Amino acid sequence: MNTSAPFFWQKNPALAWREIDDETVIISPQDSVMHELNDTGSFLWKNIDGRKSAAELAELLAANYEVTPDAALSDTQALLEEMSSRKLVVNAPETGE
Amino acid sequence: MNATVATSGRDSRQQFELSIGSVPLRLQMTDAQLFGAVSARYAAFTDAAEQPIAIDLNDGATAQGALADFGYEFEGAVLRAFSNQICFDAVRNQYALDSLLRIFLSWKLLGHNGFLLHAATVIRNKKAYIFTGRSGAGKSTVASLAPEGSVLTDEISLLRREDGIWRAYGTPFWGEFRAAGSNTSAPVAGIFRLLQAAENRVESLRPMATLRTILPNVLFFSAEAETNRQLLEILNQAAKEIAGYNLSFRKDRAFWEVLPT
Repeated sequence: MNTSAPFFWQKNPALAWREIDDETVIISPQDSVMHELNDTGSFLWKNIDGRKSAAELAELLAANYEVTPDAALSDTQALLEEMSSRKLVVNAPETGE
Repeated sequence: MNATVATSGRDSRQQFELSIGSVPLRLQMTDAQLFGAVSARYAAFTDAAEQPIAIDLNDGATAQGALADFGYEFEGAVLRAFSNQICFDAVRNQYALDSLLRIFLSWKLLGHNGFLLHAATVIRNKKAYIFTGRSGAGKSTVASLAPEGSVLTDEISLLRREDGIWRAYGTPFWGEFRAAGSNTSAPVAGIFRLLQAAENRVESLRPMATLRTILPNVLFFSAEAETNRQLLEILNQAAKEIAGYNLSFRKDRAFWEVLPT
């Protein structure tokens, strides 16, 4: 999956989630599976709003954590791929059509 | 209180009233054999509270065309909760009814800041000690080691937050140890995750770890996102407010000595 393509990410609307102690707990009701995100994952999760691309999310990560822009982009893409494979995030529908 | 056995004016339905976790229910049915089995099975939970939730068993006259607020099918038995009617259909025996009642309560308790948990609950010094864990972890063993009359349930615990305090209720949903739970409640002392070990020891858990302990053992059947969000809110509050522990457990009575009072 090419997560650097210019599309936006959104949280899967079918999920239930909650931030607890700087972590995020996500429940997938369809299969009753619980997912946990660590600090970095939680930061990204909070900022995934259907209006940001992977590159934009990486910029936020670099601005808030002590990582280089290249490392932030690499981490962001890896996390998005992982979240996408677990169906935690999906591509936001394109607007303006 | 005795069960209410009545015959309505328009048909020959019999009614059995009970409450589970302070949720009043009225089971209405025409099947005399099922009524007899139900009356015996839930005898300890008989109650006659005002405005019980009426559940029609095998009524067949459901709200036509209406969309259920909640529905579930379990081994052929069907639960549908409409805004003004609760229907359990294709209920062949007391065991099917028992399953649908658990499923219904798991949903209904959302409105009462409560949830069902795979756990044994034992009363000690007027407080409820809740022991949870996967099958074989020792829930029934804990119950079997508890004094007579102190076990609220050895299988399914019901927790509710009332006036800012979490209380544990007994349920009639039993496991392998007792013939029936006890229809009483007590403030929760703590939730203990059972871990088989060579020595008895407790370790305090952070709220996140408590939530991690609770979540896989919660009974919940709705696949709808919003109800799962409500559940997660309730569980998060429980994990924050109820002390959680890992209990390394040697399967003898001495484990009580290491529990916090």
